[in-house]
Amino acid sequence: MSDAVKINVYHLDFSYQGHRILKNVTTQFEENTLTAIVGPSGVGKSTFLTTINRLWETVPLADMKGNVEIKFNGCFHDVYDQSFSLPRLRRSVGMVFQTPNPLPMSIYKNVAFPLKLTGEKDKKLVARNVEKALKRAYLWQEVKDRLTDDANLLSGGQQQRLCIARALVLEPEILLLDEPTSSLDSRAAMVIEELLLTLRPNCTLIVVSHYLDQVSRIADRVIELSDGRFLERPLGNPSQLRVSGLHRT
Amino acid sequence: MNRIFEKLLLCFAWASGIVLVGSIAYIVGYLIFRGFETLNLTLIFGDTKPVDALLLKRQVFEGLFPAIIGTFLLILLSVGWSVPVGLGSGIYLAEYAGKKVKRTLNLFFDILSGIPSIVVGLFGFSVALFLHKHYSENIYPCLLISSLSLAVLVLPYIVRTTQVSLENLSPEMRLTAPALGATKLQNIFYVLIPKSLSGIVSGVILAIGRCAEDTAVIMLTGVVATAGVPRSIFSNYEALPFYIYYISAQYSDPQELLRGYGAAIILLTLCVILLFCAFVIKKQLAYHVLYRI
Repeated sequence: MSDAVKINVYHLDFSYQGHRILKNVTTQFEENTLTAIVGPSGVGKSTFLTTINRLWETVPLADMKGNVEIKFNGCFHDVYDQSFSLPRLRRSVGMVFQTPNPLPMSIYKNVAFPLKLTGEKDKKLVARNVEKALKRAYLWQEVKDRLTDDANLLSGGQQQRLCIARALVLEPEILLLDEPTSSLDSRAAMVIEELLLTLRPNCTLIVVSHYLDQVSRIADRVIELSDGRFLERPLGNPSQLRVSGLHRT
Repeated sequence: MNRIFEKLLLCFAWASGIVLVGSIAYIVGYLIFRGFETLNLTLIFGDTKPVDALLLKRQVFEGLFPAIIGTFLLILLSVGWSVPVGLGSGIYLAEYAGKKVKRTLNLFFDILSGIPSIVVGLFGFSVALFLHKHYSENIYPCLLISSLSLAVLVLPYIVRTTQVSLENLSPEMRLTAPALGATKLQNIFYVLIPKSLSGIVSGVILAIGRCAEDTAVIMLTGVVATAGVPRSIFSNYEALPFYIYYISAQYSDPQELLRGYGAAIILLTLCVILLFCAFVIKKQLAYHVLYRI
């Protein structure tokens, strides 16, 4: 096993309402790389992401078999082991959803929310971390004078960057992004792409995307999910990727 | 054909809105027209000095002051009993209950919301008699029994509005906090309840209105025509809705009936003040919990 491996997935089977979505998936993800998962809608790309942070467990009638191991502090841990803390897992593995989902609170409180969950009481430390996360998400300049405003008043692109800032405030080692630019215009999407590239040196990124141009611009590795199985795709320009059912832009 | 139907529907919707607003304006206008003249300190405090009455130095016998205090305490106690239980039940039904339990409890609360208030009053009266016979001879129909009976009456409103508000939240909203490491309880208290606050407060407002107007329940469980300001929750008490009912049924001269209209205006004002308080509390709560740094 390579030293650079961050996530190991073994024989992963996932079914929902008796319908098998992921079939015996075995793969690895290397540290501080950006992997793109592509494939047509409904094949289980988003579902795969939720098997890494165990978020699928909140969905009724879903079932999973197999193993997911993540390297924390140099040691691999089975994240489905009973003794492994679920809050710890989700604080180390951030997730950004397809539709921006700011919480019903101010911009500041949105970003401070994960720190509140950890029980952090030091207001100065929280303020410092919120500012740092907003700066990393390229949002600080736009919101620094209106931190107490309702987060839902931000534009779609700003809301998505806020969600990324919220995921970054705990400095996760892994960031899962489920089509983070699909609800944004091309300009806002470019900003998010740039942001992802700046995060890559310190974070393992797994991005689900429908856009081949985007994938060819940012990904270190491309996986196609087809009929419940992972297929490695060579890197190259969008025409070389040849994945059916996807957008070119 | 579709366009004609659409226009007819629009006309019907407008007409319904106008009838509704018109009815409310007519009722309020009529009350003010008939009762405004009687609105003075004598109506509230009678012959007693207002300061003495407010400091509870002297009892008020001719005025509405004891009924105002009685109504206020009744609403506060009833809402106080029903809100925690209703919120808890609503949260349980929306977030924890299994399918079978949910179906059974939903049916139970639907039946409870359809029970006539006089039956709830009778139940409260029976409870008072039972406690008097088996527990303590000092227990009679009183403010406590009335408020508990009213709490039973309004409980379904609070349960169902809480449950529906929580269940209507989008799946994405439900997953946001867990994806950040929140436990189920943290998700409920930090995200789901604040997000449903408007719906939950609507249920509380409905409950306040119902507690303020219901006469059938309190007639059987402790309200009397003359009792003064209640000394404790085990005392009899006066209440505005009962006073209005009593005056309108038994008035001896037109002037006395006008006092009933005055009492109705005061009851309406009391409700508006309590609803306003509910809105302010909701806004302040939302600001302190969700927006203040």
